[in-house]
Amino acid sequence: MKKSFYTIITFARLNTKRYFRDRLAIFFTVVFPLIFLVIFGSLFHNTSNVSFKVALINQSSSPYSQQIVAQANKTKVLKIDPKVQTLSSAKEKMKRSELDATLVLPQDFGSVRNGIPNGQLTVYYNQNNQQAASTLASILQDQFNVVNTQFVKISTPFTVVTKSTNQSSLTQFDYTFSGLLGFSVLALGIFGPVNVFPELKKQGILRRLHTTPLRVWQYFTSNVLSQSVIGLFSIAIMFSVSVLVFHLHMKGSYISLAIFAILSIFTIYGIGLAIGGWAKNERQAAPLGNLISFPLMFLSGTFFPRYLMPEWLQGMTNYLPLTPVIDGFRLIVTEGKSLFALGPQLGLMAIWAVVIYFIAFRIFRWE
Amino acid sequence: MSIVKIRNLTKRYSGKTVVDHISFEVEKGEIFGILGPNGAGKTTTLEMIEAIRPIDDGIATVNGINVAKNPQKVRYLIGVQPQSPAFQDKSKIKEILVMFAAAYGEKIDSKIFLEDVDLTEKADAYVEQLSGGQMQRLSIAASLVHSPQVFFMDEPTTGLDPQARRHLWNLVRTIQAKGVTVILTTHYMEEAEMLCSRVAIMDNGKIVAIDKPKNLIKKLLATGFKKEHQVEQANLEDVFIDLTGKHLRE
Repeated sequence: MKKSFYTIITFARLNTKRYFRDRLAIFFTVVFPLIFLVIFGSLFHNTSNVSFKVALINQSSSPYSQQIVAQANKTKVLKIDPKVQTLSSAKEKMKRSELDATLVLPQDFGSVRNGIPNGQLTVYYNQNNQQAASTLASILQDQFNVVNTQFVKISTPFTVVTKSTNQSSLTQFDYTFSGLLGFSVLALGIFGPVNVFPELKKQGILRRLHTTPLRVWQYFTSNVLSQSVIGLFSIAIMFSVSVLVFHLHMKGSYISLAIFAILSIFTIYGIGLAIGGWAKNERQAAPLGNLISFPLMFLSGTFFPRYLMPEWLQGMTNYLPLTPVIDGFRLIVTEGKSLFALGPQLGLMAIWAVVIYFIAFRIFRWE
Repeated sequence: MSIVKIRNLTKRYSGKTVVDHISFEVEKGEIFGILGPNGAGKTTTLEMIEAIRPIDDGIATVNGINVAKNPQKVRYLIGVQPQSPAFQDKSKIKEILVMFAAAYGEKIDSKIFLEDVDLTEKADAYVEQLSGGQMQRLSIAASLVHSPQVFFMDEPTTGLDPQARRHLWNLVRTIQAKGVTVILTTHYMEEAEMLCSRVAIMDNGKIVAIDKPKNLIKKLLATGFKKEHQVEQANLEDVFIDLTGKHLRE
């Protein structure tokens, strides 16, 4: 037993050393998920501020219209394209979806009637931008209402007020982050062994190990250990970047996260071991690896949250092996749940691990 | 005393018999050669005794242990040098030895083993920086970390230059001197003649002759065989070694 332990630890230690010397391996397991992180991070970073790209065409010369133009230039909601001066060129740009809408202040805007200035602003939009246009119209109407009350004193009996309840609510990025952690586990657990094992078989490295008393379970265990170390390293880097650059709100404990990450890597790496261990060469490994990893990637919520899926699909994808991994990460990171509260996720992962490793042991080939 | 005993050993691949009921015994401490053209079944024979290829028929025993029934026990007794040794990139030479010893559950000092094969200076080099000859020597060291009783070498000198080959022959003799039984396959008759105490010649999965190299030659001469040309006292390889020296090149 003690000898077995030494065997496993030595193999795991040397595996890990080898990994940190291999730039290509580091690229695929650390830099690759990090690229996705930066892309998604930048995409979702500022989504709390809605804005519209518009053209503002002022045909009036009244002081009121000048004031509105000045005001519009200040608001963050409107991004005004300064180059567009005519309605026809605005329409051209709207056709290419470069503009969401065009605001026109007609010639008579701001003309004084009965001592009160009058005017009607027109919002032009394309058919496919109807939603943006109506949102824009209601925002502008709100702003006009504020102006209107200065001219006409009226009391409004029923009003709506919006108030923010929670300053640190989840951003879109917080949501995406747990998906990306799932992606990095997938990259580490499936892409890695699917590439490495056929190569080891081709060079006869595994066959040679087979001439020694090394057992399959010892070999698997040492690989799981080194992969866990590498996985924690990769996740730690993703965390640092997310907290420092994208202001991720980590609510749970880092210990829960680390333990959960190791269990996730254990489960998912079993899939890679099964595929790579079974395949005789890369022509068998690559298609099978893609066949299994791509559905997992898109159906378990790595890049888009699963709540966007139709309900029947959510029900089915609930039971995929990567789903509890991503759900668990999300519950720890965004809801601060401890490991003990993750019973359903850990249970499902345990069932998968038993099935996966049963298969992996059965179909493993040394050459 | 025989350390390896083979009786009617047979291997079939999809109906074709590649090793056909062969029998032989290897004495403890000898260097035993298996000769034969490509596809004769040499490698398959070795792999069956090494317990990495299932035996279809017959019995192989190493030190009295049945290979088919007790493969794990046999693995502790044997060392295996494959035809084209390869190790994972980014491994240091000393780490390879530590890893192989660990496969047997043993802790070793890699220095001693590297000294045996003249690789002490390369201890911290990566495997991908080694030459063909150095790779062979590393591979031999890796096969011997657990002090096996029987050492299998599959075409150990194929692709080596004459200097590296001579060096390897000396190495094999040193290993034998330590009491290890060596079983090797080769294409080079000169090598077999110089190294092996006995050889088996295989063709089409069968053993066609088995004896000491000298006896086999005597038997042939007894049939009245004569070479077309008178044999010179030296050949081209002797000239080559005379001109380039015996020292190893890397």
